[in-house]
Amino acid sequence: MNIILIPIFLPLIMAFLILFISEKTKYIKELTAIVTTLIALMASIAMFGGALEFSLPWAGYGADFKLKTDNLNIVILTASSFFSFLIAVYSFGFMRKKTASTKWFNFNLLITQAFSAGAILSDNLLLLLFFWEGLLIFLYAFIALSNENRNSKATAMKAFIINAATDLCLVLGIAITGYLAGTLNMSEINASGKLTMHGWAIGGYLLLMIAAISKTGAMPFHTWIPDAGKNSNVNFMAYIPAAMDKILGVYFLIRISVYLYQLNGGMQIMLMTIGAATLLFAVMMALVQTDYKKLLSYHAVSQAGYMILGIGTLHPIGIAGGLFHMLNNAIYKSCLFLTAGSVERQTKTTDIRKLGGLIKNMPLTGLFFIIAALSISGVAPFSGFFSKELIYKGTLLTGHKVFFFIAVIGSILTLASFLKLGHAVFFGKRPETLKETQEAPFSMLAPMLALAGLCAAFGFGAKLPVKFFLEPSLTFLSLEHTLPLSGFHFDKLFFISVIAALIALISHILGYKTFSKPSKASDHIHHAPGLKQIYSMAEHKFFDIYEQAMSFTPLLGKCLMAADNFFDFLTDRLPSLVINSLSKISQKFHTGSYPLYMALTIIGFALYMVFVLGGTK
Amino acid sequence: MTYHLTLFVIVIILAVIAVMAKNMLFSAIALALVSIGVSLILFTFGSPWAAVFELSVCAGLITVLFISAISLIQKEEKFLNESRIRFMLLPLALIIAAIASWIYIVPFFESLSKYPHLNIHNYPLGQIIWKNRVFDLIGQICILAAGVFAIKSIFPRPVRDTRAKDLLKGAEKVNNK
Amino acid sequence: MTISLLAYLLIPLFSAVLIQFVSRNKENLADIIGNITLFAGLLNISYLIFNPVNFKLSFSNIAQDGFTLLMIFMIYLVAFSVSLFSTGFLTKEKNRHHFHSLILVSVSAMCGIVTAGDFFTLYIFVEALAVASFALIAFDDNEKGIEAAIKYFLLTFPASIFILLGMAILLFTTSTFNFAGLQNIVAGGYLSSPIMSGVILILLGFLIKSGVFPFHTWVLDAYQGAYSPVSAFLAGTITKIAGVYAVIKIAMIFKFFDLKLYKISETLMFIGAASILFGAIAAMRQKDFKRMLAYSSISQIGYIIIACGLATPLAILGAIFHMFNHAAFKTVLFLNGASLEKSLNTTNMEKMGGLEHSMPWTSWSSVIALMSTAGIPPLSGFWSKLLIIVALWEGGAKGYSVTAIGAGIITLAYFMVMQRKVFFGKITDAAKKAEEMPALMLAPVMILCAVIIMSGILFPYCYNYLIETITRTIL
Repeated sequence: MNIILIPIFLPLIMAFLILFISEKTKYIKELTAIVTTLIALMASIAMFGGALEFSLPWAGYGADFKLKTDNLNIVILTASSFFSFLIAVYSFGFMRKKTASTKWFNFNLLITQAFSAGAILSDNLLLLLFFWEGLLIFLYAFIALSNENRNSKATAMKAFIINAATDLCLVLGIAITGYLAGTLNMSEINASGKLTMHGWAIGGYLLLMIAAISKTGAMPFHTWIPDAGKNSNVNFMAYIPAAMDKILGVYFLIRISVYLYQLNGGMQIMLMTIGAATLLFAVMMALVQTDYKKLLSYHAVSQAGYMILGIGTLHPIGIAGGLFHMLNNAIYKSCLFLTAGSVERQTKTTDIRKLGGLIKNMPLTGLFFIIAALSISGVAPFSGFFSKELIYKGTLLTGHKVFFFIAVIGSILTLASFLKLGHAVFFGKRPETLKETQEAPFSMLAPMLALAGLCAAFGFGAKLPVKFFLEPSLTFLSLEHTLPLSGFHFDKLFFISVIAALIALISHILGYKTFSKPSKASDHIHHAPGLKQIYSMAEHKFFDIYEQAMSFTPLLGKCLMAADNFFDFLTDRLPSLVINSLSKISQKFHTGSYPLYMALTIIGFALYMVFVLGGTK
Repeated sequence: MTYHLTLFVIVIILAVIAVMAKNMLFSAIALALVSIGVSLILFTFGSPWAAVFELSVCAGLITVLFISAISLIQKEEKFLNESRIRFMLLPLALIIAAIASWIYIVPFFESLSKYPHLNIHNYPLGQIIWKNRVFDLIGQICILAAGVFAIKSIFPRPVRDTRAKDLLKGAEKVNNK
Repeated sequence: MTISLLAYLLIPLFSAVLIQFVSRNKENLADIIGNITLFAGLLNISYLIFNPVNFKLSFSNIAQDGFTLLMIFMIYLVAFSVSLFSTGFLTKEKNRHHFHSLILVSVSAMCGIVTAGDFFTLYIFVEALAVASFALIAFDDNEKGIEAAIKYFLLTFPASIFILLGMAILLFTTSTFNFAGLQNIVAGGYLSSPIMSGVILILLGFLIKSGVFPFHTWVLDAYQGAYSPVSAFLAGTITKIAGVYAVIKIAMIFKFFDLKLYKISETLMFIGAASILFGAIAAMRQKDFKRMLAYSSISQIGYIIIACGLATPLAILGAIFHMFNHAAFKTVLFLNGASLEKSLNTTNMEKMGGLEHSMPWTSWSSVIALMSTAGIPPLSGFWSKLLIIVALWEGGAKGYSVTAIGAGIITLAYFMVMQRKVFFGKITDAAKKAEEMPALMLAPVMILCAVIIMSGILFPYCYNYLIETITRTIL
């Protein structure tokens, strides 16, 4: 048996086995999930460096069951397996109190792991599509089963519809790509020369890109993430939107942008614009949130903006930054969600207005939070700083400085929002009700510890990830670069990050002084003239394409109904109406009146004579 | 020519009377007179056979049938006392038709008579009409038989009042329309 | 040795007279004589038509052509069906011997029409037929029947004027009424405008008698108001023989696609198309079973007239075959209409529904006839319509061809509506009480249904027969 199949089929088989385990057993399901993901992770690590291949004729017509490892996707696979393992461990503690959905949670976890691994490893685009769509189905199941209230079902439907729409783009994009390239195997497309940007290829690329960025959760496809943040549990949030979706989306974006297509300047600008807009708007939304999980959800969106921005530069440095940021983001965002889970588990709330001073009760959680928050905000020694630095560099190297500035502003706001969050949750005044709060159990702390440790390990010059992950990937993508990727560089960028941190601090203090409550520290931005209206619109879901579409749906439905009625009328009612009205007219002339009949007959004679004699003379 | 014309006019007037007459018996007699006039016309045009048939069948046989039938329903005469003013339109229409045909049809037939005949077998007109007509005799018998059966079926010998009433009601309805 | 068809005329006439004397007080004898006469005639003509010896000789041993033979077959078939049906239908107090006499006389007159060799003979028999059918229509006791008869008479009498006038003109210009003579004239190219004006007038007369679109007004009341079995007889044969037969005959003699006659051709085709559409459209909203069938008849005659207008050999074949088919299926429908009337005491379709349960034979035979009318393969109506449509298309009258197809769809639509209303769907109170007709009355309907199905399935043989016998006379 080929080792390449283990990360896919082992979780798949185990997932279905879990379904047969009785609900009453206590640890078997969790332990099964942990062991399975661990084996998958080990298999992924074992495949490092090699170029394995597994091919099997499948559906025919170029749709082969073809798996292939290379230096890019093995990094991604390792990361995704790692997160599966961590979440499995974490849920061991977190889910203990909610036995109702453990079975399904573990099932979904393993299935998602299996399908993600399949999507990452598959070389054939149709196979990728198969796994990608499979993920969509289990995304729905994941959200819908994560909570027992009705909202989770609505959110699941929202996520499903948004992703289904973009997956449709994927289908079309793959069709076009396959048609243009003549093959569906990505390695063959790359070997026979990348597709260049003209004609159908533009459409093909755009469709694939939409699928990829919507997977990462970029604007405007992000709207289900904050809703899910509110309506589902943190395991899911830490696992799917924070880690898996970013990993897959960025992986696929890199694949198509660098590996399959040869992009031009227009595409570059477009990608960077999407990235910049996403990071800025999402972080602004994050800034004003008062819910722990929802705030983090907006950050999950915002960070996706950085990745897209980095990849959009199309510069090796920028791409490396995007890839690195993706790994970092998965780490610290998962960590942050896990802290949120811990807090929620211990205090039963995620509303930061009701929290405060938890550092005394939960010192370790607080510590992990601080490390992860500093990392995400791009403060110097931690991992986030280095990935952002690479992205900034890549952006500057393209010559479009405006994106750089937006990225910096986003960074400032990120820090500001985490100052607010940390201040409100772990510092400040502790409410009386939270006095008895306990520290989270070990099984929950361990993953957080691992993640926080990674934040640190990937920081401090970032030598480790660069050596093991980034350089092999870049080499594989044949991206040549001269600048060093790792190490501290006390150049302008470092000072800019310091200035940014300071601005954020000033802003926070200003807000805190004005409103005298840490949870309101961002309200001066929230209520700033001009922004206030935008925020109010955003709160009313004005920018949410799904909600907008849904609000248009009745109207659209009416239009379609009207159109349908019209065609119905044309095909069904009109002929019978015409015939019936003609029939009615004829009835009027057939009253049985003899003179009328005679008159009709005489008119008939006259017409007959006119007709016939008209041509005989 | 004047003789012909007078005969024509008389025949037409009698025909109009036959249609317009209130009294059915009177109508039947007028019809018989029409037949006599037609047979006179046929005599003068040199078709004695036709004239004899016309006289015997139409003026004789059919008139007898009519009168015998009418005598059976004479009692119900009072049913027919409706306004007949609008039926005076019929003679007017006939006059218009006559003038029009005088102007158009007569010259048309005159032009036809000047037309070179495609007389393939070159028989005289009378022979064409009256010779080789054995088959037509069956047709004549058919008409006669049909007429007799029709009258017998519509006016059965034991006259039932309802039947006559229905008949007259039907006729009245047609008239009123 | 040639076989004369005179017997088909004389024997019914003789029987008709015989009935009057023999069965004055024994009404059952009238039934027996009438039915036996017609049945014998039917057997005889079937033997003539289906005898392979005759077929091998292409019917050259018979005085008349295959068209006449087919028409006689049709007349006897319908007349026998109607007569047999009426035997069960007539109530005790009716004068059966008059009815049978009239039927026999009209059969005789119709045979005279189809065996006639010239226009004058034809005209005489048409008049005889008119008198007989007048009496038949008025045979019913109620005022509706009388009204129908009077309308029939008054609205068709102008036809006689036109026919006589036309014949006079023909006599003036050609000195002959003879079909053969006229055919020679046409073949010799002696056609002139006066001859044509004569033909036009005769044609007009027969168009009125056939009841096509502008002259259709009498058809409705006559068919609706007439005594029910008579409606079947009227729609099945009388109208066809008195009017349409002559139109076909004229179309066969004068080839309308000749340069000088294209106007007549176009007019006929226009009238045909107008009839098809008018009949089909007007039938949509009718509530009375018989009146709807009357409209349907107008529509179906339109198909024949449109084919006559084209007058190519294929079109004429289609017209003749359609006439035969129409006789079969319309007779079935009208006879079933009579059954419904007898069983439900109404012909209003709104009061009918779900009759397939209470009157299965009547319902299903009607459905077969309806499908044939609507032109559903493999029933006979489909083939004749197909022949006509193909002929129209080949003849270049593509617009009319499309019209014919479109009207076929409407026909299907109104028959669907009718079937749903009458035979299927919810059972009404009236339909619950309805009883199936006795076998005596079902037999003729079944025979005709068999003819419809057989002539559809054995269409290749029918087509062969038509080709063998009729093209000979056209060309």
